[in-house]
Amino acid sequence: MGTILSTLADGVAQTIGITLAAFAVAAVLGLPLAVLRRSGHWLVRLPAVVVVEVLRAVPPIVWLFLIYFSLGSTDNLQLTTFQAAVIGLGLIYAAHLSEAYRAGLDAVPAGQWEATRALALPRTQAYVRVILPQALIVVIPPMATFAIALLKDSAIASVIGATDITFQAVQLTQQDLNGLGNFTVAGLLYIALGIPFAVVARGADRVLSRRLVGA
Amino acid sequence: MTPESKPLLTLDGVCVAYRHQEVVHDVSLDVAAGEVVALIGPSGAGKSSLLRAINFLEPPSKGRILLEGVEVGGSRRTLDALRRDVGMVFQSFNLFPHLTALQNVMLAPEHTLGLPREQARERAMRQLTHVGLAERADAKPGKCSGGQQQRIAIARALAMEPKVMLFDEPTSALDPELGAEVLATMRTLAGEGMTMVVVTHEMHFAEDVADRVVFMADGHVVEENSAGKLMRDPQHPRTQRFLNAVRGR
Repeated sequence: MGTILSTLADGVAQTIGITLAAFAVAAVLGLPLAVLRRSGHWLVRLPAVVVVEVLRAVPPIVWLFLIYFSLGSTDNLQLTTFQAAVIGLGLIYAAHLSEAYRAGLDAVPAGQWEATRALALPRTQAYVRVILPQALIVVIPPMATFAIALLKDSAIASVIGATDITFQAVQLTQQDLNGLGNFTVAGLLYIALGIPFAVVARGADRVLSRRLVGA
Repeated sequence: MTPESKPLLTLDGVCVAYRHQEVVHDVSLDVAAGEVVALIGPSGAGKSSLLRAINFLEPPSKGRILLEGVEVGGSRRTLDALRRDVGMVFQSFNLFPHLTALQNVMLAPEHTLGLPREQARERAMRQLTHVGLAERADAKPGKCSGGQQQRIAIARALAMEPKVMLFDEPTSALDPELGAEVLATMRTLAGEGMTMVVVTHEMHFAEDVADRVVFMADGHVVEENSAGKLMRDPQHPRTQRFLNAVRGR
């Protein structure tokens, strides 16, 4: 158990790195996708819809192969396995998060938009000062769910050779043939890594709801 | 309106349509500076739609809105200029729940008008004081009574130093006691010479505070007159029926 743990621990940093970096990419890119999808004009809406649907329709593992073995292997663009995983998972989760953002934006009452329009607030200010803070509260719980899903999906990166927990478990098993022990420990590590996300999400949820209501 | 005074706000043949259903038909109205106009009438008469057309929350499907003789709403720029000059108070307050009263009021002066933060804060404090809520400056709307929330909303609109204030049934969401404090604030404003267009079911307010009352039904202006005349001696049978009904309650 001790040796399994110490071997798999080598992959923990990679797993956390891929998860956090991909989540950061997704959190940032998801927002414009959500905003574009809510546009009143179909010409603006359509490209965003297509991007989101295509990103979600293709299996993550296919995206990673596509990015790593095609785009990432051209002469002027050499991606590391880490970079390819972050880009691929980041884009896929941007599509997922954009749906969560969209639900959050939809949850802000129409009267809030009207008030910003009646006050002639510039659109960016309306989003930043009024709409997003209220949408965020709705979005935090699904965001946490997606973060944990992303943590688990990061295991896919092992197939293109990213040296994460799953990669280490596969390597170790090829040496010692102890699949049960190695992958049980791997599973426990994923559970352990997921706990902070849940805790952070609950804390953020509490703080934000208090900010919304409390004086 | 006296004949020699130039209208501050002009509605010229304004229609409002939702999808293809027209709910306001060809309304023309002049509002003089300092005048208080009450829009009354049964629910569904198109009063709120007409009011919301004035600042293009519902863009008019036909007709023109002129502020000080200048047509507005053709472009985003003239629309923003219009909205800076036209304050709006909503039935459901529409305060920003995550911001304090003071932050609600200073938001537009700071970010629409671009005032330095300190100046926006001073202006906001002045308006909160004006509506009697200086001591609630740091409270979130959720901690304030409905009447206080609506007065904060009034302060928020006033902080833009508008030329006209629009009120969309400002007391309908409030019980009578809380409504009274909002009406008192509006009365003060009217006394200070603010130009106001008020959609209301408060007949006493229309009679006592408004200079002119416009009665609407089925999307049309049925009758308009000075408040005293229309409220005491309505000419049109539809107006008489409405006033009898609301007074009979």
